Amino acid sequence: MKKFLAITAALLLQVAIAPPDLLDAQVMGATTQEIFKQFSEHVVKIEVVETGSAAKASIGTGFYASDGGHIVTNYHVVSKLIHTPDRYRIEVTDVSGQPIQAAVLGVDVVYDLAVLRTNRRPKGYLALESKGVDQGTRLYSLGHPRDLGLTIVEGTYNGLLRHTLYPKVHFTGSLNPGMSGGPALTQAGRVVGVNVATEGEQISYLVPAERVAALLERTAKVQEPSANSFLAEVGKQIHANQARYLADLFSPKTPSVTLGPYSLPTKPTEFFRCWADALRRKEIPYVAVTHDCSTDDYIFVSSEQSSGIVRFYHQLLSTEQLNPAQFFTLYSGQFQAGNTAVFGNEEEVTRFRCQTRNVQTQTGKLKAVLCARQYVKLPGLYDAAFRVATLGARNVGLVTTLSLSGASFDNVQLLTRRYMENVKWRR
Amino acid sequence: MAPLGYVERLDGKGGVVERFPIESFPIKIGRAYGNDVILDDPYVCPAHVAIAPDEQGRLTVTDLESVNGLRESAWEKPVASLEIRSGSQFRIGHTQLRYCGVDHALAPTLVDRDSRRLWLNSPYTAVIVGVAVFLLLCLDAYLTIIERVTFAAIVSEPLSTFAMLLLWSGLWALASRVIVSRFHFPQHATIACGAIIGFFLLSFFAEWFEFLFPSVPTLWIAGLFGSGLIIGALVYGHLKFASTMQRHSRLWAALLVSAVVVGVSAISDYAGRSKFSNAMEFTGILKPLDAAWLPAITIDEFVERSQKIRQDLDALAQKAKATQP
Repeated sequence: MKKFLAITAALLLQVAIAPPDLLDAQVMGATTQEIFKQFSEHVVKIEVVETGSAAKASIGTGFYASDGGHIVTNYHVVSKLIHTPDRYRIEVTDVSGQPIQAAVLGVDVVYDLAVLRTNRRPKGYLALESKGVDQGTRLYSLGHPRDLGLTIVEGTYNGLLRHTLYPKVHFTGSLNPGMSGGPALTQAGRVVGVNVATEGEQISYLVPAERVAALLERTAKVQEPSANSFLAEVGKQIHANQARYLADLFSPKTPSVTLGPYSLPTKPTEFFRCWADALRRKEIPYVAVTHDCSTDDYIFVSSEQSSGIVRFYHQLLSTEQLNPAQFFTLYSGQFQAGNTAVFGNEEEVTRFRCQTRNVQTQTGKLKAVLCARQYVKLPGLYDAAFRVATLGARNVGLVTTLSLSGASFDNVQLLTRRYMENVKWRR
Repeated sequence: MAPLGYVERLDGKGGVVERFPIESFPIKIGRAYGNDVILDDPYVCPAHVAIAPDEQGRLTVTDLESVNGLRESAWEKPVASLEIRSGSQFRIGHTQLRYCGVDHALAPTLVDRDSRRLWLNSPYTAVIVGVAVFLLLCLDAYLTIIERVTFAAIVSEPLSTFAMLLLWSGLWALASRVIVSRFHFPQHATIACGAIIGFFLLSFFAEWFEFLFPSVPTLWIAGLFGSGLIIGALVYGHLKFASTMQRHSRLWAALLVSAVVVGVSAISDYAGRSKFSNAMEFTGILKPLDAAWLPAITIDEFVERSQKIRQDLDALAQKAKATQP
């Protein structure tokens, strides 16, 4: 699972950008040293400060993206302020070294972007790359890894990834916590993407520049929106996004995988990754086959919340040696296992509510449990887990679980129905 | 010649330990062998008191200038003499004595209800029930083993449960010995075995009911009220052999214990519910039953009924919002 780059330390990326005419004249093959010298002054350090203690709660990087002083960073760098605006403020530090307070103008939670503005007029700004970039193109990422000071990191552009919820730039360079929100530049100093996440070992991700352009355009005319309205905006964006990508999930065209006598859904879309394994050992008197699919990506909502995760996994249990009572002890145990969510606190989510019923489907009977909880600050969004176990057989059984995060209840119900319809028996 | 009456030596709870027949008055009581009533109490003088009638036939105990004196009871002050009648008690040294005439009034004879439950008093019953419980525990252990079946895996847990059962019965037997002077161990063991069988049947039926009708929280109800009922019955049974309580007071005691058990678990259950948790609470019990026998609803009904979850969660979110700053 990827890691976002602003946790408690942020990396400040300084990029000095020359005016466009100068950029065009930029000599190809400029050294890293020259790029740093030229563009680092447009990169700023962003700190989210807890107002009570005046201590920084998170650090990230940002860069000037217009002559009006618009600063681009990641949504996850400033998410604490979005969730509790009365407890935090944002301070931006540029080359002058003087921190200045900034206001949020707009956010794009799905693409993990935010636009801020200070009263200070910047000396210049970084322009966005509007043309396509070839695979292998050298990129330079700027930021403040672990608050160690402005750093420049080299890497290469490796195209757009398709298995993520939205296309992300695959950048082979070492991004580290704190570099979030910093720009990744071409040799000409044009922004190709915004540092957002890493999977370690030089596998890093950038938000493509066209998403930045879209948010800048939306926020160009905004003066000073109240921070309170952003939570509603975040909720609206997540709503729209989950409506879009969950709409066709588990439709009748979903590919299927066969486990024992069961036919089950697998890899519903491009952005799912599926794995399978089997536990078959002499010393245990049963066989367990698992098939696990999940979205490789998610939307950062807050440090305790995410949206967009869809995971489903099938577990086939069968035995030749256990008698039915023994097998059903195992089967019941498996059905009730792992019933606790990893994340969640009282301020952000409600408790779970569950419903257990025996359900008749087209091909057989199931024990079905649906559990859900609601987001307190983002009403109308739910985490849900839906689990079924097939009934009627004596020495074989299937437990399958679908879990969703940050989905509307209508979608929870829709996917529950479709998922059940996709669990079939072969006679 | 028939005795005129008796001097009785009493224990701490008023029970008779020893009876000394009185052939004729006056009589002498003391530690010396020349007395009519010889007491083996180091606080009693060789010649401690004498009982003699006056002209009207009233009996008087008189202190014979003993070291520790004569009292009515341990809490009274020593007196020189004490007038007594049939049933009167007096104390010399550490010994409590009672005088009873031959015509002393008696309490009505108790009807022996025990004879109707003779099987419970038989040690064979305890052995049979004990073996049955042990086999039941072994069967349960065998049916819930999901690794390779070994003899040790089957008997280890039943053995420890059984040891606990014997310990429990032993404690009750000790209590019986102290209170009613009899151990009654087989009876206590039979009652404890009965409770284990009760818990066993309760969970067996509750699980099946929960499996067949998941909309009824059978396990929760059984856990709260069924357990309370069994524990009440257990207390009622044990008290029968470990106390001199009458039936209605044993019923009250059992009811009280049940109420406390149910009350405490209800309170802790409620406290657990109102606390925040990330756990999904459901009882997913699965049983090997032919699908044809299983009551089930349609997919549409399942989805439709999940609307209730949404309403509950809306209420919860409202509440959470209201309590937050």
